[in-house]
Amino acid sequence: MALHFVRSPVVSSARALTARVIGFVLALGLGALVLGIAGFDSLHLGRQIIVKSLGSQFGLEDLGLLYTPLLLTGLAVTVMARMGLWNIGADGQFYLGAFVTTAIGLFIKGPEPFMLVLMFFAGAAGGALWILVPTLAKAYAKVDEIITTLLLNFVALLLVYYVATGPWRDRVSGTTASTGRVPYKMPDFFGSLHWGFVIALAAPILFALALRYTKWGYEVRLSGANPDAAHYAGIPVRRRLITIMLLSGAIAGIAGMLEVAGTVHRLQGGISNNYGYLGVMVAVLARGSALGVIAGAFLMALILNAGIILQTQGLTTSAVLALTGLIMLFTAIADQFAHYRLVRPRAATA
Amino acid sequence: MPASPSPRPIVALRGIGKVFPGVIANADVDFDLLPGEIHALLGENGAGKSTLMNVLTGIYRPDSGAILMDGKEVAFASPVEAIAAGIGMVHQHFKLVRAFTVAENVHLGWKETPRLASKSVLEARTRALSERYGLAVRPEARIDELSAGEQQRVEILRVLARQARVLILDEPTAVLTPAEARVLFKALRAFKDAGNSVIFISHKLDEVMEIADRVTVLRGGRKVLTETTENCTTTKLAQWMVGREMVLGGLREAIVPRSEAGRIVLALDHVSASDDRGRKGLIEVDLPVRAGEILGIAGVAGNGQRELSEVLTGIRRPDSGRILVEGVPLDDPSPDVFLELGVGHIPEDRIKSGIAPSLPISDNAVMRAYGEAPIAHGIFFSPKAADALAKQIADDAAVTIPSLRTPIRNLSGGNQQRLVARREMRIARLAIVAAYPSRGLDVGAISTLLHYLIDLRNQGVAVVLISEELSELFDVTDRIAVMFKGRVMGLYETKDADLERVGLLMGGQTQQTEAA
Ligand SMILES: Nc1ncnc2c1ncn2[C@@H]1O[C@H](COP(=O)(O)OP(=O)(O)OP(=O)(O)O)[C@@H](O)[C@H]1O
Ligand SMILES: [Mg+2]
Repeated sequence: MALHFVRSPVVSSARALTARVIGFVLALGLGALVLGIAGFDSLHLGRQIIVKSLGSQFGLEDLGLLYTPLLLTGLAVTVMARMGLWNIGADGQFYLGAFVTTAIGLFIKGPEPFMLVLMFFAGAAGGALWILVPTLAKAYAKVDEIITTLLLNFVALLLVYYVATGPWRDRVSGTTASTGRVPYKMPDFFGSLHWGFVIALAAPILFALALRYTKWGYEVRLSGANPDAAHYAGIPVRRRLITIMLLSGAIAGIAGMLEVAGTVHRLQGGISNNYGYLGVMVAVLARGSALGVIAGAFLMALILNAGIILQTQGLTTSAVLALTGLIMLFTAIADQFAHYRLVRPRAATA
Repeated sequence: MPASPSPRPIVALRGIGKVFPGVIANADVDFDLLPGEIHALLGENGAGKSTLMNVLTGIYRPDSGAILMDGKEVAFASPVEAIAAGIGMVHQHFKLVRAFTVAENVHLGWKETPRLASKSVLEARTRALSERYGLAVRPEARIDELSAGEQQRVEILRVLARQARVLILDEPTAVLTPAEARVLFKALRAFKDAGNSVIFISHKLDEVMEIADRVTVLRGGRKVLTETTENCTTTKLAQWMVGREMVLGGLREAIVPRSEAGRIVLALDHVSASDDRGRKGLIEVDLPVRAGEILGIAGVAGNGQRELSEVLTGIRRPDSGRILVEGVPLDDPSPDVFLELGVGHIPEDRIKSGIAPSLPISDNAVMRAYGEAPIAHGIFFSPKAADALAKQIADDAAVTIPSLRTPIRNLSGGNQQRLVARREMRIARLAIVAAYPSRGLDVGAISTLLHYLIDLRNQGVAVVLISEELSELFDVTDRIAVMFKGRVMGLYETKDADLERVGLLMGGQTQQTEAA
């Protein structure tokens, strides 16, 4: 009998990782091949990416600035995934966090440390507020959270466009697409990389610890794994669902706050840079693991950064997007392939 | 089966071995399935029965050994390939899509399903199949509306529709009413008479004696023997399963006689409640439960037992009526209130509400204790203390566990049940509501479980035992209530109760009702 594939339901993490690395390399190889045929010097491009993103302080700073919001939006989506829910609205919550932060920064005066703390909590509250309606609709009327969170993204986007080009428009420099500069900024610690990065890196670790070492974490894990069993165990499942959804929104809101106060320093239409949607991809890569977010967001940041570098090398945005998609596709395929092994049936013993 | 030169087996397993991290599930198992036989597979909880069948149907790959079908070696990469070759399995835990209809489930993933078929076509085809195999189903009904027996018929129909020659049933009667079991047996005999074969896993030895032609016994993953049923008795079977003389019974003797009736600790007063589909599940039920007694609830499954057990433990809220604890009405009955009071609950549907299958054994074992010391300290949860308690519960339940970190779904069905039962008995200071607690347990484990319930009763705990096995109820209870269509039809002192009358009441026949 010929060789054939056998699917095993469980995959060791070493196997899963190996499969992903192979998938990643294959995607790169395929991308390089296509670029080569199109007349680009793939090797040169590859070297450029590595040198420019990892080989210099500037490169690392840029990478860190992309990594920061992705850590948080990826975590926001993962937090809700622990309850079996999808937060497709991290983009909107990000916008709201950025919006509230800007409002405070532009219109309230105070000592910088105090203002930063205020902005931090206000950003979190803004994100949480933006998911409040989907949360209540889910908790009390079982309305599908995917649709409600997604739809609110467009509302948030319009709101930010409106204030950035209208009432809060920058009147000093005369740009038409953004607000004036927010005068309070997160302190830097590595070139332009600010302490927001440290917060973003600590967040998944804190969440993972809370899941494992607090009563609340146990209740969330049980409620997510089997709500009926959680109810049976005396856990107020609805209350846990509400806190988890609000927490998810708050985390995305904090991402928006850090983006304004740490990186961009003003509010503008495209400030989310799709970080909310990319957060969904990060969560998928992380497979529901809070610590996995750290790795998933890093890969995503590398890809984004590579995309920016490739654009400076003359590739169009659509080519970059296609390349990004290729990598995601191969990773997904690799995840599936990790389940299969090739076997040769043994000779009959009877 | 005549002992004359046996025909070539349809399926032959040769030297099958399967190891999971820390567990030898199967070791060197030989097994022959002849055409036209019903072959029972017996063994204690965790003996490796389900695993062996999962190896045969391609869910697991054997670590060693070979599978032969009609004398040729085969290796199925998945159950889909197995069913294509004519081997179909109905699992211990059903694998139907709950949101789909019966017709859709029967046609799911089947190459003969007509493309772009309309609902009515699928339903007509399902109806035809249902008539052909004598398995009554309602093609248009959604799975989650069906009783366990109906769901099982759908599973079997799915398999038979795909022209299976070998049907594997893993503990099929555990969730069936006696009447449903009779229907199943009739269908199995018809299937066998057509020259097909059945592998039948069960812990009910009487049933095995009734339906099987041959029996194979496994112990600790190894085959003990294969024997024709004619040469077996239930005693012998039990002995082969555990490997030593088994002392069962002694239940009546363990019950310490009462001088007077205990105080009423838990009571329902005119309680009505709806079932999951919003229909009347419990109707005007009055039920006093006394300390230091085992109150049996007899009745055919699906007559309000689930609602009764859920109302008695706070999971389901009554629509009207009162729940009294020690004579005091509860104004907000909820599961945490009952937990605090010390009311344990072995639920009817373990997978659905008793455990979280994907979580580690440890997390599942501490479901009732995670909120108190030593597992909780203020807001903190100590995984180490959780592991220690889980270890203790597993030891008490006589379940060997490779690692507390493995998901509980990796345990055998009976071992999951043992853990849940121990977990609930641990917290039962006031009362325990045990719904079909012996489902899925082997004979030894059932006896142990009933002894534990008697111990609790002797210590003054109120025990509510919901069961379909009248013999079990008559063996261990102090009083028996009979349920029919959501009502309590009668309540008797067990010593005065008459098996005949209880049987009639279970069927809804009332001549006279008396209360004790
Ligand atoms: N996927 C798995 N991973 C790890 N261990 C497993 C897995 N499946 C089964 N086991 C172990 O293999 C042993 C045999 O389990 P199996 O389910 O075959 O028992 P069984 O004879 O069907 O018992 P029961 O009567 O309780 O259903 C058990 O110790 C079980 O914990
Ligand atoms: Mg089993």
